[in-house]
Amino acid sequence: MSLLLCRQEHVKRPYFMELMGVHLYSSQELSYVIFNHPMLVLDDFVDERLLTFLREELDKGFLALKLERWLKSGENPDEALMIILQDCDYYSMAEVGRFRQMAAALRKKHPADFLRMKADELFSLRQYGRAVEIYRKLLEYPKGEQVDDLFFGRVYNNLGSCYARMFQLDKAFEAYVNAYQKNQQDAVLERLYDLSRIDERLALNKELQEEITEKQRELWEQKLKMAREKARQSKQVKELEEMFRQDTVKRQTGEANQLYQWKQEYRNMA
Amino acid sequence: MDGLLVGVDLCDEYTQVNCPEEEKLWTVPTVICRNKNADEWYVGEEAYAHTLKGDGIIVDKLLNLALRDGTATLGGVRYEGKELLFLFLERILQLPAQEYQKGKPEYLVIAVKRLEPRLSRMLQEIVLRLGILKEQVQVISHSEGFIYYTLSQKKEVWNNTVGMFDLSEVGLRYYEMKVQRGMKKVMVVAEYEDLEEGVNLDVLKKPSGGHLADRILTSCAERMMAHKAYSAVFLTGKGFLSQEWAGNLMQYLCSRRKVYIEQGIFARGAACRAQEGAQENASFTCICDGRLKTTVSMKVLHRGQETNVTVAAAGDCWYDRVSVIDVIPDRQNTVDFIVTSMDSRKKKLISIPLEGFPKRPDRTTRVQIQVMFLDERTMEVTLRDHGFGELFPASNALIRQEVML
Repeated sequence: MSLLLCRQEHVKRPYFMELMGVHLYSSQELSYVIFNHPMLVLDDFVDERLLTFLREELDKGFLALKLERWLKSGENPDEALMIILQDCDYYSMAEVGRFRQMAAALRKKHPADFLRMKADELFSLRQYGRAVEIYRKLLEYPKGEQVDDLFFGRVYNNLGSCYARMFQLDKAFEAYVNAYQKNQQDAVLERLYDLSRIDERLALNKELQEEITEKQRELWEQKLKMAREKARQSKQVKELEEMFRQDTVKRQTGEANQLYQWKQEYRNMA
Repeated sequence: MDGLLVGVDLCDEYTQVNCPEEEKLWTVPTVICRNKNADEWYVGEEAYAHTLKGDGIIVDKLLNLALRDGTATLGGVRYEGKELLFLFLERILQLPAQEYQKGKPEYLVIAVKRLEPRLSRMLQEIVLRLGILKEQVQVISHSEGFIYYTLSQKKEVWNNTVGMFDLSEVGLRYYEMKVQRGMKKVMVVAEYEDLEEGVNLDVLKKPSGGHLADRILTSCAERMMAHKAYSAVFLTGKGFLSQEWAGNLMQYLCSRRKVYIEQGIFARGAACRAQEGAQENASFTCICDGRLKTTVSMKVLHRGQETNVTVAAAGDCWYDRVSVIDVIPDRQNTVDFIVTSMDSRKKKLISIPLEGFPKRPDRTTRVQIQVMFLDERTMEVTLRDHGFGELFPASNALIRQEVML
């Protein structure tokens, strides 16, 4: 238990962490991102842009110089991340040691697995557009011991989820169909069923319809009904309803703000 | 230092001005007079002269007038008290400037009888209008002026307790000062007490009145100084300009200690302070009214080591002390302060829970801590949730708490 003393960092131009869609304003935030999202920083993270941020905004010229020399030396580039963590003093030496082990373990993974984990991480951060790029790249991998049907099934499933969250339902449907062909999982079939119920244009073919039992259909219908009801009662919907009850001037302002917010969110995720 | 260093003792009755290592002391009644027929201003004795002549209108108690946001109408024009005080100080500061052929003061220290944040700010605003920057001015208490004056004397004067009686038109005040050694930095503590035994200075002019005052002040001195070892006692104020009335008092005071009768102690002390202020190397810690008697610190982790950060130190001016630091709690949901009293060296822990702050993963809440003081004994702590950048945006959570030190 303690209080960490923060150094005064007067950042005027924050570092934009593209893969997460966030700006970083301090050495503590930079350390946090490195430590908690290793998949996003293990490749080419320490570049000229980061060095400029360290040098000009965080006033860490010595660290930038050290990193520059390290990268030129041809030594393990992952070690540059440890140098940053040590210098920023946000994590203890023991924690930096743990991070080193974690990075080494990740490096031992099969390249396809490594990439899939990176895409999954982006998915968890709602960076669906960037995750799609990687999932599609993974589908080009030649089939092998590690990259089997089960692997492709997971990739297609996740790809479908990305598209669905970006409201590209036709692409999501196609990806789920491919996923089901690879892994025959009920969860995937359920998603296909849900999409067909949400969008009339997306019809299940005869073969898929035959796969669904009457009991499953009843259960999924029930779940769909509950989900719709939950959405109807959600805070966001209530706020929208409230906004539409206001007079025209207030409503128009509210609508404009809401649309702007949605656009921003969508652009960030897509 | 080539610039002009000035010490001013600013009271409602009189104002005294002195420069370091200069014997010359200007004593000017704190009054200002405006010519009835022209935009001409006079201060001090000159103001009285013009008023008696009938061509001027006088205003007195300028400090009090400015402090209570009062106004005075002179020649059909209404003037704010602050404006009159500005005009007065402008003219007062010309006295040393003309004498020593120098421009505006490079460092100015103003001593006042009772130090208040509002008074300090007001005087700083006024002198800023005179072209003296905030960094070049310091407002101190009479106690601090007493400390600086005494320490400018030979060591034998202050190697033990030093007492001082200040008998003026507004009353009698007793000051006491001690130098405490054996610490990292020498600490000088001064306190004062306003005594009820003050006498109207007019009564001292009559023998019967003088005898009575002598008896009263002697018994007062016996009460205040009993069982203490003094290296020196000072007598100051208009009441001690003559000591003919104070035979018994002088006899009591002069036994086994040195007694000094000196005028302009606060202005001379302020001048010494100006000299030190300009050099920026305080050689001792000064504890008196207007300054903190306790040190407030926090235990923080820096470079993996637990270390103490001083938020406010004993001897700091409490009224202009504002500390702002940012911390990130690590498995801790309180902010703890350690208050160390300079009198007893006892330590007290004050813990403020971060109630109402959002629940976030560990080490992802940046707390801005702002500490300021409402008086010598009351600290105001403000804790603000600054979040953790865009990763965990700041909320409006804020805790404000007054802490008795």
